[in-house]
Amino acid sequence: MKKLLYIFIVVLVATSCAPTLPTKMATYKNLYEEKPLSILVLPPINRSTKVEAKELFYSSLAVPFTLKGYYVMPPLLAMEILKEESAYDAEMFLNSSMIQVGELFGVDAVLFTTIHEWTKTAIASQIRVKIEYMLKSAKTDQILFNRIGDVTLSTSMNTGNVFADLIGGMVSTALTQEIVVGRNCNIYTLGDIPAGKYSPNFGQDGQEPAQPKEFKATVSR
Amino acid sequence: MRKFFLILVLGFAATACSVTKPLYDWKGYDQAVYAYTKSGSEQSVSNLIKVYTKLIENSGGSRNVPPPGVCADYGYLLIQKGEIAKGKELLVKETVLYPESKVFVDRILKRFE
Repeated sequence: MKKLLYIFIVVLVATSCAPTLPTKMATYKNLYEEKPLSILVLPPINRSTKVEAKELFYSSLAVPFTLKGYYVMPPLLAMEILKEESAYDAEMFLNSSMIQVGELFGVDAVLFTTIHEWTKTAIASQIRVKIEYMLKSAKTDQILFNRIGDVTLSTSMNTGNVFADLIGGMVSTALTQEIVVGRNCNIYTLGDIPAGKYSPNFGQDGQEPAQPKEFKATVSR
Repeated sequence: MRKFFLILVLGFAATACSVTKPLYDWKGYDQAVYAYTKSGSEQSVSNLIKVYTKLIENSGGSRNVPPPGVCADYGYLLIQKGEIAKGKELLVKETVLYPESKVFVDRILKRFE
């Protein structure tokens, strides 16, 4: 009996601690210090060849942040104002200070997203997106979160990855495949951001392991 | 000993399997806002309004309040449609639910004074 217990504990420890990933506290130190609550999502920077990717992807960014406990500025209204302020092209101020923008909108942080890749291969019926997410403080200009998601949606095969299959199934099938893959990329990549103030886990996830900077996944549907 | 083992297993099972409700239930928002951004057609607008109404009147989720941005975006949509009073009311509601939106939303409200 005692032996069994030891085995059980050893297995438990081994499975939970096997990869020596740094903690979230160490990886996202600036974010834990600043505790941002409100986020302004800037229009995505589109470096892919897919022209309409920008507007369509933009509307998918608010939901995952709210589910993590953050406040996101009303997306449709914010987009109107950003256009009025000639801030539709976020690439222009990628390296500028965000403090003034922060004061104008009354936000703690701004989110830059860069669509590096948005391609469809007809042969393997795959869609691949590679998106970078960078949350920048509107108080100190520090980088609070910077992650890259590289997600391929395969329409023909099963991934063999239970977790990926589960997430693939979570996203509604009524959406077009191209938007499904963008949303999957959000779920994977933003899943690692520490909990925000509206979450019951706020301030309690610092010792959890942080995922690597670049996420790569293949999902099926 | 056996009892201890059982407690350990039960404890592990409880922490591993407790399904937590998401903070908000976004209902059909994803599809509705996607269709609205893509086409902007009459039908996509009325469908988005239907979703907004559900999100406000029957919020659900563990917080059971309208999710961030919903009241403000809906309010602004109504203002554009000419329903100024109801629209403004919703914008104010956003600032009550989420005080961190006040700086931004008040600037919008000023335009319709």
